Amino acid sequence: MRLPHVWNARPRWWLAGFAVLSTQAGAAQSLSPPDTLRLPTVRVAGLRSERFAVGSRRLSLDTLALANYRIGTLTDALSARTAIYLKNYGPGQLASITLRGTSARHTAVLWQGFNINLPSLGEADFSLLPVSGATQVDIQPGPAGGTYGNGAIGGTVLLSTETPWGRGWRGAAQADYGSFGLRAGTLEAGFSNQKVAVRTSLLYRQADNDFTYYSQEARGRVRVRQENAALQQASFTQDVTLRLGQHSEVSAAVWLTDADRQIQPGIGTNNTNAQERDQSRRLTAGYRYVSTRHEWAARAAWFEDILNYRDDVSGLSESRVRTSQAQAEHTWRFASNASVRLGGEAQHFEAQVDGYGAAPRTENRYSGFTLFRYDPRPRLQLSLNLRQALLPGRKPPLTPTAGAEWLAWQAGAHTVRLKANASRSYRAPTLNERYWRPGGNPNLLPEESFGYEGGAVHVLDLAPAHLRLQTELTAYHQLVDNWVQWTPGASYWSPRNLRQVRAQGLEASSQLTWQPGAYRLTVRGSYAFTQSRKTKGATDDADPVGRQLPFVPLHTAVLSTDHSWRGWQLSTAFTYTGYRYTDASASEFLPSFPLLNASVGRTLAVRPGWKLLALAQGYNLLNLDYQSYQNRAMPLRHGSLSLRVLWR
Amino acid sequence: MKPFSAFTGLTSRLLLGSAATLGLLACDPDNEPAPTEQPIVTSTVFVVNEGNFLRSNADISLFSKASSSVTSKALFNSANGRTLGDVAQSMAVQDSLGYIVVNNSNKLEVVSLAKFRSKATITGLKLPRYFAAASSAKGYVTETVSYSGSNGRVSVLDLKTNTISKSIEVGVQPEKLLVAGSRLYVTNSGGNTVTVINTATDAVEGTITVGDSPNSLVLDRDGKVWVLSGGKVAYNADYSVDYSRTTKGSLAVITPGQLTATQREVDSNTSSPSKLTINGAKNQLYYSYRRGVYTLGIGDATLPTTPLIRRSFYGLGVDPQDGTIYGGIGSFTAADKVIRYRSTGVAIDSFTVGIGPNGFVFY
Repeated sequence: MRLPHVWNARPRWWLAGFAVLSTQAGAAQSLSPPDTLRLPTVRVAGLRSERFAVGSRRLSLDTLALANYRIGTLTDALSARTAIYLKNYGPGQLASITLRGTSARHTAVLWQGFNINLPSLGEADFSLLPVSGATQVDIQPGPAGGTYGNGAIGGTVLLSTETPWGRGWRGAAQADYGSFGLRAGTLEAGFSNQKVAVRTSLLYRQADNDFTYYSQEARGRVRVRQENAALQQASFTQDVTLRLGQHSEVSAAVWLTDADRQIQPGIGTNNTNAQERDQSRRLTAGYRYVSTRHEWAARAAWFEDILNYRDDVSGLSESRVRTSQAQAEHTWRFASNASVRLGGEAQHFEAQVDGYGAAPRTENRYSGFTLFRYDPRPRLQLSLNLRQALLPGRKPPLTPTAGAEWLAWQAGAHTVRLKANASRSYRAPTLNERYWRPGGNPNLLPEESFGYEGGAVHVLDLAPAHLRLQTELTAYHQLVDNWVQWTPGASYWSPRNLRQVRAQGLEASSQLTWQPGAYRLTVRGSYAFTQSRKTKGATDDADPVGRQLPFVPLHTAVLSTDHSWRGWQLSTAFTYTGYRYTDASASEFLPSFPLLNASVGRTLAVRPGWKLLALAQGYNLLNLDYQSYQNRAMPLRHGSLSLRVLWR
Repeated sequence: MKPFSAFTGLTSRLLLGSAATLGLLACDPDNEPAPTEQPIVTSTVFVVNEGNFLRSNADISLFSKASSSVTSKALFNSANGRTLGDVAQSMAVQDSLGYIVVNNSNKLEVVSLAKFRSKATITGLKLPRYFAAASSAKGYVTETVSYSGSNGRVSVLDLKTNTISKSIEVGVQPEKLLVAGSRLYVTNSGGNTVTVINTATDAVEGTITVGDSPNSLVLDRDGKVWVLSGGKVAYNADYSVDYSRTTKGSLAVITPGQLTATQREVDSNTSSPSKLTINGAKNQLYYSYRRGVYTLGIGDATLPTTPLIRRSFYGLGVDPQDGTIYGGIGSFTAADKVIRYRSTGVAIDSFTVGIGPNGFVFY
């Protein structure tokens, strides 16, 4: 489900968010934010994978929603704008996502359709993913292994770049200056006509992060200055799409990220001057051929992920994983209301990791899939996706994902849609889980899950009053089996398939957009109740059953507002993160915390084609002393100023 | 004077609480009768919860023997309104003060045992491990310093000012230490030696070769020092254990004044014995080995082959009053349990403490 972050009155924009072959009569539902509303006359476009994700909830952050976080990372954007809890070890430090009561390894992060979770850790550090690397961030909570493959158990984060056609030259430059030595700049440039579309984006930021926080020490409550938390980060993105005639196109994309971070020590712990260098090089290229009824696509990608860590106590630990992968698929629209996509994927990992020993480790994984979409009636959409993965020595079960959406009621300005979805999903053991020495367990089974969800979406669309209110309610339930847990053994820790975990909960969200005239208001609120518990365990799994898992808040909520009026803009984002247990027995917990951020800005048209935006942002305005993750300090009230020059 | 922890406390009690003992150790112990003991009474057990690395959630749980219950799960925090720190490695007692070694906070917290109020914080240490006092004015703490394979050290603490007065280089990864008479014995777990330091001059008197990787030591009623070595574990390239090169653990006995040890090997190199502990009468030894707890008398000719308790513990303690055995389970994920056993090995009960109970101080 897509939440629009722009005024968009197209009543059925949210159906599934699929782009279509616009040359064939701009058919049906186009859907994406404003860029694609001005459809060019010629377009090669295929069916987006979301078209096969019927009945799932979907949250979208588009360019406008991401606008305040242009120099930030996904950690910043998601923490402020969604009710998703990211376990954050400090500003700019490791942030791991917790979707629907699962761990970070259970969220698939896809860039341009390829999984970019670190193969060694099996998860992504959201602080290493600058917002500037994508123009669109979609989050689909819940299992969808059939649709998105490995690790899509708790949910899927999709990073993509919209390709605007026929827009000519555009550019923007931005400089930011903020608390704790924050200095950042971005440059964005793009060109597109009807033949070629190019986008370049460059980001650099650094921060000393020498903020102060309160610490209870023997001499009382004192303000302590954070040590060893400085960082430098850069990101470079280059996208090129070239049309070859009316039916085919080639595209290529490069995303380079580099982060050199001091690792923020815990409060009161030995500062070992830990430092981590993370570099990711991601290259992908693809070809698509689209005809009236068929679409063929092939894509290849090559990633190199480097993670080098050193500290005074343990010295240097280096890790480099190269992933080569290819995807090919064929989509057949065999009827106006039915399409099927058949495809396959191959991945080759080559890991040179100090923890695995001197020789490189290699691993191949394959999967084949069928995605099927059928709309038996105009008001009913169905999808059925099947995926079979092949892992080294293991064959996870066939993972189907089935979904349905039904426009149940439509009267006047009201529409109510019902949706349901069920999925079996899997997660391949990570390279660390298999090969880490000592402890790595090559005999680990893939994790398996079965989950389902159901919900309703109500839309009130009062076009004359320029008011639109959309409310969505979702309930879900999921069992994850063979859940892998590292446990202490006689002399070292080792991962084992120890337990079954049940995650269930409720998600409610509402969005109001109102534009009576020059003033425009968007209010978004959402709340999540997440209950995640171990339900069964192996005999050597000492953790008790029936307790909320550590670092999964039962309650999270967010309320944000965006106002604009004649070049002025004001945004507020209030998030509430409930208490999180810090141990598996649910006896100790970190207190809940509310966070309030706000920004105010003014856009001035300085001359034709040129605009200037000045923006002031404030963070943690309640000046709260809080911890996201245990024993890691977070900054008190702070702020930043940015100046942005836009050309065209 | 009450007896304290498994070994350091008992040592202190023996050495400092009894003039007879001091006299004993100054002489040739072989010719001395065993000292006459006063009955040992303990009412309280301080459980050292190591906590999770980097999360500063270490604390001490207070177990009351009278009520057989934990009266404070996080005693330091509740008494002082702040966290103890990161990784509580050990605790020892001198006079009415507790010395808690907080490994990854590089400090010792000094607390009054009566109310557990913080009295001082000794800083400037480098990865401290264990503490032992020679007197109410002088203490010693082992420090790993670095895991690079270089030597560790023992720092001499002035317990009146709670400052470091001197540091003495010892072997690699010094672990437990013990004061016996005028000598300090330090196990160098990264090698195969025990460093002997004169507590009057703080000079190294020499090193005693024992089995590979000595990790713990106790003093028996005859004044002899028993040293348990885990054996050196050799790894293949894939980090599986290479049993052809792994050495067996061993139990050594040192007669004070001599720089030699006699030792006996355990029967298998598939497990490293550890956590040597002694009872209140100081004539019965306990240690962890092969996922169990083994025991032997100090006069036994051979090492035991069957365990007293078939369960592995992260922390092991023996109540000097009645020989009750305390075993701490270290899951490091949940609030952990301590199981109590009679000296016969029969389980009594269990109670919940904090994360990773690694040791017990009986007071």
